[in-house]
Amino acid sequence: MASQTPAVVMDNGTGYSKLGFAGNDSPSFVFPTAIATKAGAGSAAGSAPGRPPVANKPSFLAGGGGGGGASSHLSTKRGTEDLDYFIGDEALAAANGPGYAINYPIRHGQIENWDHMERFWSNSIFKYLRVEPEDHYFLLTEPPLNPPENRENTAEIMFESFNCAGLYIAVQAVLALAASWTSSKVTDRSLTGTVIDSGDGVTHVIPVAEGYVIGSSIKSIPIAGRDITYFVQSLLRDRGEPDSSLKTAEKVKEEYCYVCPDIVKEFARYDREPDRFLKHTVTAPNGRSVSIDVGYERFLAPEIFFNPEIYSSDFLTPLPNVVDGVIQSSPIDVRRGLYKNIVLSGGSTLYKDFGRRLQRDIRHLVDARIRASEARSGGARSGGLDVAVVTHKRQRHGPWFGGSLLGQTPEFRSYCHTKAEYDEIGPSIVRRFALLGGPGSA
Amino acid sequence: MPAYHSIFLEDRDVPVIGNFPVLPLRTRTRGPAYTLPPLPPNADIEVPADSESYDCVDEILSLFRANVLFRNFEINGPADRMLIYGTLFITECLGKVKPTMAARDAEKALINVALDHFAIPGDVAFPLNQAFEPPRDRQDAETLRSYLSQVRQEIAIRLHARLYPGGVGPSKWWLSFTKRKFMGKSF
Repeated sequence: MASQTPAVVMDNGTGYSKLGFAGNDSPSFVFPTAIATKAGAGSAAGSAPGRPPVANKPSFLAGGGGGGGASSHLSTKRGTEDLDYFIGDEALAAANGPGYAINYPIRHGQIENWDHMERFWSNSIFKYLRVEPEDHYFLLTEPPLNPPENRENTAEIMFESFNCAGLYIAVQAVLALAASWTSSKVTDRSLTGTVIDSGDGVTHVIPVAEGYVIGSSIKSIPIAGRDITYFVQSLLRDRGEPDSSLKTAEKVKEEYCYVCPDIVKEFARYDREPDRFLKHTVTAPNGRSVSIDVGYERFLAPEIFFNPEIYSSDFLTPLPNVVDGVIQSSPIDVRRGLYKNIVLSGGSTLYKDFGRRLQRDIRHLVDARIRASEARSGGARSGGLDVAVVTHKRQRHGPWFGGSLLGQTPEFRSYCHTKAEYDEIGPSIVRRFALLGGPGSA
Repeated sequence: MPAYHSIFLEDRDVPVIGNFPVLPLRTRTRGPAYTLPPLPPNADIEVPADSESYDCVDEILSLFRANVLFRNFEINGPADRMLIYGTLFITECLGKVKPTMAARDAEKALINVALDHFAIPGDVAFPLNQAFEPPRDRQDAETLRSYLSQVRQEIAIRLHARLYPGGVGPSKWWLSFTKRKFMGKSF
């Protein structure tokens, strides 16, 4: 066993990709899921005939308005231009110069452009991780409700293009639950819980029972990191700060924001303690630096999760109510487990006291409902319901870390599908995976 | 958690004109309001809610920065109408204070807004007539007008103290709320 190579864990999200090896406690690479290709090739080939080198797309992908067909010249013209591309931060840099166009192959968590994704993976494996795929097992992630056809495509690329030794595809929410096992509050290592995954674009609330996602109860909220940044920016603008660029707003958000228990009390606290107002220094590229004041946005910005009304006029349901609704719409026999293990994941859940406020607000909702039903029943007493929000140290890259945790277990390889099995049965083999870390595993 | 409501909703026997409450005020201007005892000298600007001198103007000023962010507000009783009126009036006041104004000029401007001719519930120019009932007769209207005048002056004076803490200002932390519209309305 000593000679066994560590599994490669790749978590490709809409915004960022996290790459690394199982057993590590943080990803080796985190960069934007972006690819910069030669601008001419991509745009000219929009309606050209011929399929991209990854064959057998399901028909719904081909019809999706340029998703798969955007670079179909490549199959006919295998010259060097298809090797001329950059991924990640290099892609963003290249796109600033002439000749390259930037593409984001993943939209809303799902892979939209398979040719770009294949090249993105190729660079990830050979240029960044520098591994031989033949020697490593791979653990990839997928969003909840990913169609099985997408899994098959992924398997095709992984086995046929890269010839990787073995493959496991796990649902991000389940990995996020596994990541929470590092918290000292978690004792039973169950795969039942509610995952609140808040990244840059969207926030999902995903109930998971015994390792299986309850697809019908998933809710998503159109408020996430980017909206918090915009809100900070609007507050800076209203005050007329000398610098209110998006980049500054993002810095302010990341460095100073926290969640307060009550905004009126927090305003009064700022009146009493002037040292809660801070200064932030912005250094412009030309070396000049400006100082801006940072005040109420410190606690008002994350408040839009709890009072979306102050930011948006079309989405008004607070996050605690959404979580409560999701759990109430799940099967009754798992609700207790879902309330007891609410797990945070993603960069926008990192604010100080976010979990504490969420737990308090959900508990208020639950207690109010219990009291009401006790009153209606006329004298029956409820044993109460335990609400616990788990905050842990691996929240930022939760799904990746969960993958790393499960990928290092000795039995991981037995859960994977190997190259030999794939050759025997075909892509449909990846439609089913045994549940990693579920009941029965050590 | 929606916008904050008035704690004076709990006071049951508050006289009303139309459906606007005539709550006690801590003020030195004359008018129909029941006068609360003044604060002890050199008291804190923020009056604790359990103090006998705590009045609705204190509440309006302390809730303003939070409530003004909200677009929806459910009126639970007469005292909430006072909260709405005060919040909208503060927004009007903030609009009159320019970032460059000295304390003295701002004080003058604020007193002028407070004493200017203003619309009362029932008037055509009053923007919230769906939620506010007009007073029953001329005499009630007169009482309401002089009561509101007391409220406006008191808000203007205490707002000025917050805008110019220690005589320097105006505080940009307060002025940053100028453009927000509580419930999407303004005077």
